[in-house]
Amino acid sequence: MIWLVASALLFSIGAYGALTRRTAILVFLSIELMLNAAALSLISFSKLSGSLDAQVVVLFIIAIAAAEVAVGLGLIVAIFRRRETTSVDALRQLRG
Amino acid sequence: MSVGLWEILALLLLIGSGLAVVRLQNAVHAALALIANFLVVAGVYVALEARFVAMIQIIVYAGAIVVLFLFVIMLLSAASANVGQDLMPRLPWVAGLGAIGLAGLLTFAVTRFQPPANAPALGGGLPQALGPLLYDPEKWLYALLVVGFLLLVATVAAVVLIEPERIIAATGHPAHPRQDKMPTPPIAEQKDEKAVVKR
Repeated sequence: MIWLVASALLFSIGAYGALTRRTAILVFLSIELMLNAAALSLISFSKLSGSLDAQVVVLFIIAIAAAEVAVGLGLIVAIFRRRETTSVDALRQLRG
Repeated sequence: MSVGLWEILALLLLIGSGLAVVRLQNAVHAALALIANFLVVAGVYVALEARFVAMIQIIVYAGAIVVLFLFVIMLLSAASANVGQDLMPRLPWVAGLGAIGLAGLLTFAVTRFQPPANAPALGGGLPQALGPLLYDPEKWLYALLVVGFLLLVATVAAVVLIEPERIIAATGHPAHPRQDKMPTPPIAEQKDEKAVVKR
């Protein structure tokens, strides 16, 4: 049960980072932290309820995180090449 | 629920490294704190009878993913990664209050969870137990195939995003619509241009 609470705290810390950081890479690091917190909660649910399925889901989460990082960092590098910045405050073209 | 010394220590390390990830100014330091966080989480996984997942966590997360992060941070030069511009966070108080509220809500939610009285042991979460589940058509086999395809698509997408010039050379047309004109427009100019068009 203590690890469920720990994962809740870790998720909130990641959310704080994602909201306050201004550099796209650091926002990304915070999102990884949130994904990791979700995986931790699944593993501790698995331990509490005695089911291995949650552990399989965590393997999927790790695979999807890898895919997400590949695409996300590709986007950041492509944006940096065109705009010479990775600040999320400068990238407000989609805001209209 | 008995709380031992190592659990308190692991909890402190977990929260401390998490706070370091979101507060350190230097991006490389933040990524290193993220490695520490992943390693502590892997240790917790071992204690929670998920040994195989703990190994994958260390190899894929703390190894591959964070190294990719470090690589990109260093590729984009210290000018963009080690940021004076990150010193003034956006909406610090609102975000702080929101995070505290979220923590309270999530803690309230997870402590409602009633574990079954006699949960079966997981047997250490070894690959011998996880493999049959993963490759069972009644369970996770199709999800596994979809995830494999997703990884393939992500790899191709990363190549297409980062190497537009080669895509042009190979296919004869630009992967990005405006790639051939205007090499890299500076932000300020682009903003002005857009404002003029609006008016």
